[in-house]
Amino acid sequence: MNRIEGQISGIQVSGSLSLVSVDCKGILLKSIIIDTPDTSDYLATGTKVQLLFKETEIVIAKPGVREISLQNRILAVISAIKQGDLLCSVILESDLGTLEAIISTNAVADLSLQPGIEVLAMIKLNEIMLSPC
Amino acid sequence: MITAQFNKKLWSAQGGMQLDIQMELQQGECLTLYGDSGAGKTSALRILSGLLQPDSGRIEVGGETWYDSGKNINLPPQKRNIGYVFQDYALFPNLTARENIAFGLRKGESSALLEELITITSLGELQHKKPGQLSGGQQQRVALARALVRQPKLLLLDEPMSALDHLTRSHLQDFILEARQRYGFTVILVSHDLGEIIKLSDRVAVLGNGVISREGSPAQVFMQHKISGKFQFSGKILGIEQQEVVWIVTLLIGANLVKVVVTEKEIQGLSIGDQVIVASKAFNPILQKIRDL
Amino acid sequence: MLEGTPLKITFELAAVTTVLLFFVSVPLAFWLSSSRSRIKPVIETLVSMPLVLPPTVLGFYFLLAFSPSNSFGQWLDEWLGIQLIFSFPGLVVASMIYSLPFMVHPIQSGLASLPPSLKEASYLLGKSRTTTLLKILLPNIKSSLLTGIVLSFAHTVGEFGVVLMIGGNIPGETRVASIAIYDQVEALNYGAANYYSMVLFAITFSILLLVYLVNGGYLKKFWK
Repeated sequence: MNRIEGQISGIQVSGSLSLVSVDCKGILLKSIIIDTPDTSDYLATGTKVQLLFKETEIVIAKPGVREISLQNRILAVISAIKQGDLLCSVILESDLGTLEAIISTNAVADLSLQPGIEVLAMIKLNEIMLSPC
Repeated sequence: MITAQFNKKLWSAQGGMQLDIQMELQQGECLTLYGDSGAGKTSALRILSGLLQPDSGRIEVGGETWYDSGKNINLPPQKRNIGYVFQDYALFPNLTARENIAFGLRKGESSALLEELITITSLGELQHKKPGQLSGGQQQRVALARALVRQPKLLLLDEPMSALDHLTRSHLQDFILEARQRYGFTVILVSHDLGEIIKLSDRVAVLGNGVISREGSPAQVFMQHKISGKFQFSGKILGIEQQEVVWIVTLLIGANLVKVVVTEKEIQGLSIGDQVIVASKAFNPILQKIRDL
Repeated sequence: MLEGTPLKITFELAAVTTVLLFFVSVPLAFWLSSSRSRIKPVIETLVSMPLVLPPTVLGFYFLLAFSPSNSFGQWLDEWLGIQLIFSFPGLVVASMIYSLPFMVHPIQSGLASLPPSLKEASYLLGKSRTTTLLKILLPNIKSSLLTGIVLSFAHTVGEFGVVLMIGGNIPGETRVASIAIYDQVEALNYGAANYYSMVLFAITFSILLLVYLVNGGYLKKFWK
């Protein structure tokens, strides 16, 4: 599980859903959750939270990709790749700390990913869980 | 309202231990005592029930003093009106299920409650059998009904379901919830089963080395962090196997086996037998209606 | 036909002793099985003494204690009108003490073998110690009770030394079968000795056999 720390900078509520924007060292990451400031008291601007998401939910793209629906993007550099037959574990170093991504070995080859390359790690907003620190 | 504070020096194979407990319960609340074996959970129940005398302290239940070392008050178990379900059920082998339950009735007391308890524990068919002819779950139901026949203010459950299979356990938990609503007694439960604790208790007190080290709602106590994921279950790790760069963990959640993929970093610190919380976002699971056959 | 004969006295003595002993031993065994008192080891030792002590030792002290020339014997005689020396009541008292371990031990170990939670569950249901003992504990140690009763009975039947010392050998009063056998052998009257011996052998054998059959569950089919 990847963990990133940040501070809630905005909450948009609709019914029982909230779209929470979290400022992580200047990078804005968004998460959609089934909770509102009424049901969870930690949901307030300024609260420090952790963003939790599974390694398998990270999408890796080469920088420069523009037209894609994923808006949570973190610029990172690959520091290591552990190879399996089908899956690879890609270790990424970013301003927000070390991240791990599990993607297919095929994709690693297709994108010719290797340590030292700069990539964009992207996460869908419905894959991020919040946990108050 | 129950307030209790007591001390007792306990001796075990590991040496001496000072039991020092302080607790407060609201009427109708269910508190679970959780902790390693030998942490003093059973001793705490025995002290509350009067089977074991503490070295000092005070126990007050609903305005009535049960024990006060300062005033030399120590009500015997007979006068404390407690429902107690023992780990081994302690059913009387010479009496039938019905006689076991009726044994707790006071002289001249009507048997209306007896009939009611036999009905809600579904013991009607079995009431004339002796405990030796009953299965573990059936014996457990008799023990529960017997504990309730004196309409206790406080029900103490000492790992009551540890020896039962999952389905039986689940039925009994439902019964305890139902009975609690019906009769309004307060419960103190000793349990190791995370699912059971979350289902039954309002509050958990973690007992370690004779003292309560942590206290709070089951969620507060058992989840290191509150997680917003709505798809949450507690389960037990049955198997761990490495597949390439990930590990596949087999979990028992309720009566279902599920598998979860985790990474190397997470697998450290997890081992077979561990109780875990499984969390995911409500956005991920898909639902498919099971066709009626 | 048995009027006043040694056999009748023997079985009368055994029956009376066993019944009285039962009522004394149940509370004593209950206390021993549940007490943590400091004097418990002393009491336990005293109860077991008849197992190892020669019966003559016991008889000798009885004789001293109950003798009318002694203050205790005198008190008994004056206030209660009981003379324990050379009388049937004296035999009963001596036999009770002599057979005490045979009744107390089986009952005590029977009670100790029950899980303590049975007793505790009964207390928590508001029942007193007596009710718990009578309604819960004793019904669950029936075979121990039977063993205690039968062993005490058989042991009293087989008694010799204590009976001889405290009862004397008064025909029709204190002469029991075991002493009669000795007398007949002394008188070289082997036929009569054989008769008493055969009867004692047959009866004690049957009683013990019955206990083993019952406790071993061999008779279950018939008695349910």
